[in-house]
Amino acid sequence: MKITFPYMGTVVIYKKLLELLGHEAICPPRPTRKTIDLGVKHSPEFACFPYKAIMGSYLQAIELGADAIITSGGFGPCRAGYYGEVHKKTLGKLGHNIDIMILESYKRNFKYFWRIVKKLKGKNSWRKVIQVFFTVYELAHTLDALEKIVQVRRAYETEKGSFSRAWQKVNERFDKEVKTKKDIHRIYKESKEYLESIPYKEKPENEKIRLGIVGEIYVVMESSINLNIEEVLNGLGCEVERNLYLSEWIDDNIMPKMFARTSMQEKILNLSREYMEVRIGGHENETIGHIIDYKKRGFDGIIHIMPFACLPELISQSIIPKVSKDYDIPIYTISIDEQTAIANHITRIEAFIELIKGRKGTQALS
Amino acid sequence: MKTYLGVDVGSVSTNVVALNEECEVISRQYLRTSGRPLEKVREALRNLNSELPELDVLAVGTTGSGRQLTGIMIGADMVKNEITAHAYSAIHSYPDVRTIIEIGGQDSKLILIKDQLVVDFAMNTVCAAGTGSFLDHQSERLDIPIEKFGDMALNSKRHVRIAGRCTVFAESDMISKHQFGFSNEDIINGLCEALVRNYINNLGRGKVLEPPFVFQGGVAANKGIRAAFERELECEINIPENYDVMGAIGAALIAREHFLKTSEKTKFRGFSSVDLDFTPSAFECDDCTNRCEVIKVEMDGKVVAMWGDRCMKWTNSVR
Repeated sequence: MKITFPYMGTVVIYKKLLELLGHEAICPPRPTRKTIDLGVKHSPEFACFPYKAIMGSYLQAIELGADAIITSGGFGPCRAGYYGEVHKKTLGKLGHNIDIMILESYKRNFKYFWRIVKKLKGKNSWRKVIQVFFTVYELAHTLDALEKIVQVRRAYETEKGSFSRAWQKVNERFDKEVKTKKDIHRIYKESKEYLESIPYKEKPENEKIRLGIVGEIYVVMESSINLNIEEVLNGLGCEVERNLYLSEWIDDNIMPKMFARTSMQEKILNLSREYMEVRIGGHENETIGHIIDYKKRGFDGIIHIMPFACLPELISQSIIPKVSKDYDIPIYTISIDEQTAIANHITRIEAFIELIKGRKGTQALS
Repeated sequence: MKTYLGVDVGSVSTNVVALNEECEVISRQYLRTSGRPLEKVREALRNLNSELPELDVLAVGTTGSGRQLTGIMIGADMVKNEITAHAYSAIHSYPDVRTIIEIGGQDSKLILIKDQLVVDFAMNTVCAAGTGSFLDHQSERLDIPIEKFGDMALNSKRHVRIAGRCTVFAESDMISKHQFGFSNEDIINGLCEALVRNYINNLGRGKVLEPPFVFQGGVAANKGIRAAFERELECEINIPENYDVMGAIGAALIAREHFLKTSEKTKFRGFSSVDLDFTPSAFECDDCTNRCEVIKVEMDGKVVAMWGDRCMKWTNSVR
């Protein structure tokens, strides 16, 4: 099987999982205008934006020879749950008979989960599968730990662009060199030293601005889709943190609890109960829960990113003014689709950061 | 005379103001942008210079959608977004302001203030139905000068409800109301109300609007809109004397604050700089898959600024 996957965040992790299991992994190119145009062309106009972008990625991967797709699922009324089936149907109509495997939390449908695991297992022994899984798990945690360094220090870099370039290099190294857990530890140590050697000029504590990014998983995780929001915010001198990291997603959805290193989900869902008693699907409970969590951890503001007309996030969007008021934290929502232009958003984001600076008293108006 | 300059390059108008050390407006230039922003900035600066040839510029600020490019062209000390600029100028004229309504050519803003700090803001996202361009378009269609809209609206005798959600539907609705025999006055008044309703629904959603209100931007000239806002908000609305150049005043105030704080020498290239050859251009960099659209600005054949690249290799190449 030549397996591909949606391009989302640190793709080297998915690629490694497949490669170490002996599959041929086809990594789609990082989404560009061309990917989106391709996806939009072959998607219903009213489909959510992630659906369209991912469609484009699949078509590009098929061009590169992919014959199977592995992706994540969804639950509840959120349309992400239908993506796999609808993508399959559309791809079929275009003449690509392709196998789609949907990886979902084993807690929801164990039988289906098990079937996918067995497919991925192929001829490998169970021992090997478990070994590979733990290696990739280690990789996910490692990369996320390194990314968190970038998300903070890039705000203060002395040479513009130095951290982004370094981060790209680090990813390439992991992609090329990792075979075993030992490699991961070695490259982690070296990469950490490398990232920490890049010059930066920290601001005094009272002038630091920390922003939490929350919202729908795909637009939050994939920088080519979300206007490179993390780089943009870092470039304006703000530290950032996302509500979603792949390692935490694995801990919450795939990893049996006794092995999991982090467990955010329960805490976050509990925080969100104050505003939403039921789960709607998607990440709306996480969005609300994380906003409250960020406030409690002393963050200065929240950027909420959602695909245009995303049902679960529309619900969180309508709750946000209340959360913002109750918890006294500024929140700015950006909705993204294929029509999004950066210029308008930059103006608003700049104004939002001025607002936060004003609140912090570092730059009172007039 | 010592002065601070503010430049606001917007979609519809390009404004330049000069403030004296007491922050009073000593000169103001209001020009239609007409799709030629850089040319209009030059023209405005030339006019300003011939009006007051003895100016000693201490600092310059730019704002508006063309702020970055203009900032490079004239050598601005501060380049700020228009939301912050409008807040500065409104607070300067009305220190106790709580709500700023700003309606310009292509966008409208709502800025909430508390203790002279911006606490929340919104900009129109969906449609231009609530902005000046739409009124402009209708004035052309009805062949009534835009300056007369306000007085005509105040003379309305009958109430007409125009659907204001979208420019196209509003226009069809106006056409059919005309056919039903409503007068121009009534229809223009209905249009003002639709614009206000649209503004409050679109920008004010989920927000508490508290007095005192300040209404600025080009559309504030329209008495009909002001009256419609006052009816809707049930409160008096303040319109600053220089309502149509408040963005530029804000930019000048921001530049002034920067100057007072740092005493840095201004980067202003001088009034003669307007005659330099200044050419922006864009190209797609294909050194990697990001394919960034890079903006390149040349002045007299020398590259003075580049931006738009993710890896910053072009940006950093200009020193």
